[in-house]
Amino acid sequence: MPEEKQLTEQESLQLITSMIQKVKGGYHENGTGPILWGTVVSIASFVTYLQREYLFDLPFDIWLIVMAAIIPQIIMVRKERRTRPHVKYEDEAINAVWIVYALTIFGLTAYQNIVPEVSANLLKAEGWQMMKHVLDNSKPDEVLTPFTPSLYSIYILVYAFPTLVTGITKKFTPMLVGSGIAYTCFIISLYTASKYDFLLGAVTAIACWFIPGLILRSRYLAQKRQHV
Amino acid sequence: MFKELDPILHSQLRLAVMSLLISVKEADFTYIREKTNATAGNLSVQVQKLKEAGCIDVLKQFKDNYPQTTCKITPKGIEAFEAYVQALQAYLKV
Repeated sequence: MPEEKQLTEQESLQLITSMIQKVKGGYHENGTGPILWGTVVSIASFVTYLQREYLFDLPFDIWLIVMAAIIPQIIMVRKERRTRPHVKYEDEAINAVWIVYALTIFGLTAYQNIVPEVSANLLKAEGWQMMKHVLDNSKPDEVLTPFTPSLYSIYILVYAFPTLVTGITKKFTPMLVGSGIAYTCFIISLYTASKYDFLLGAVTAIACWFIPGLILRSRYLAQKRQHV
Repeated sequence: MFKELDPILHSQLRLAVMSLLISVKEADFTYIREKTNATAGNLSVQVQKLKEAGCIDVLKQFKDNYPQTTCKITPKGIEAFEAYVQALQAYLKV
């Protein structure tokens, strides 16, 4: 580009348009984040479904793999920040949405773990408790610890939210489709037994993150090959 | 009566840099060079002119032991760019 070429008004307008277009189509994320989260959430959900369906326990809580995934995620984010050639305004907005999403998931996990015990203590303090009574009296009554029924439906609903925002903002169809599948799974999960909610959760994680992540990855690798 | 086009922006490379920076929060010098097809020396001079005019901020730092220059449009730069586009629109009656 020559140093001080004077432009006509028409040329100026064309230059502005072409530069804005160059930024728009410029850079693909490498997709490792969505692939990672899609993998761990779908595995944890599917294993939980199997545990409930076939009544077995693992020596550890399978959801710990989701917690463990935070470490590589932090490393990947730091590496990507170092190598990213530019930061778009929309990236900041999307990051904020995913931070709110992470806080919501932590909040829901805390709710799931704390509320039943606190409720049981409150009921005890009031001098009563919840009982499970089988209508045909085939089994004796038993004390029931308060629980949050079909809570995983709410998780599925929350999975859809940042995926839809990212899909709309980035005009990324695989995530739009993924969030559509997530909302469908959420509606189905309202009518199914809670063990099947985990199966629907696994489908949601694959549709929202794993498949879009693979598509991002292939675009990123194709772009990388062009630059070699 | 047409407004005069801002001479700081009315040059090919500086306008290209400003058009690029208006679309992003910040961009690496190498990225700008790649997108504008400019030489490093030429781009450096024009970036310096934009910086002196207060249109952009230039941050020089080291990342992984390599020097990295990041450019970011300033509020004054956004104002100047918007005024430039408005003036263009008046000229072209769009």
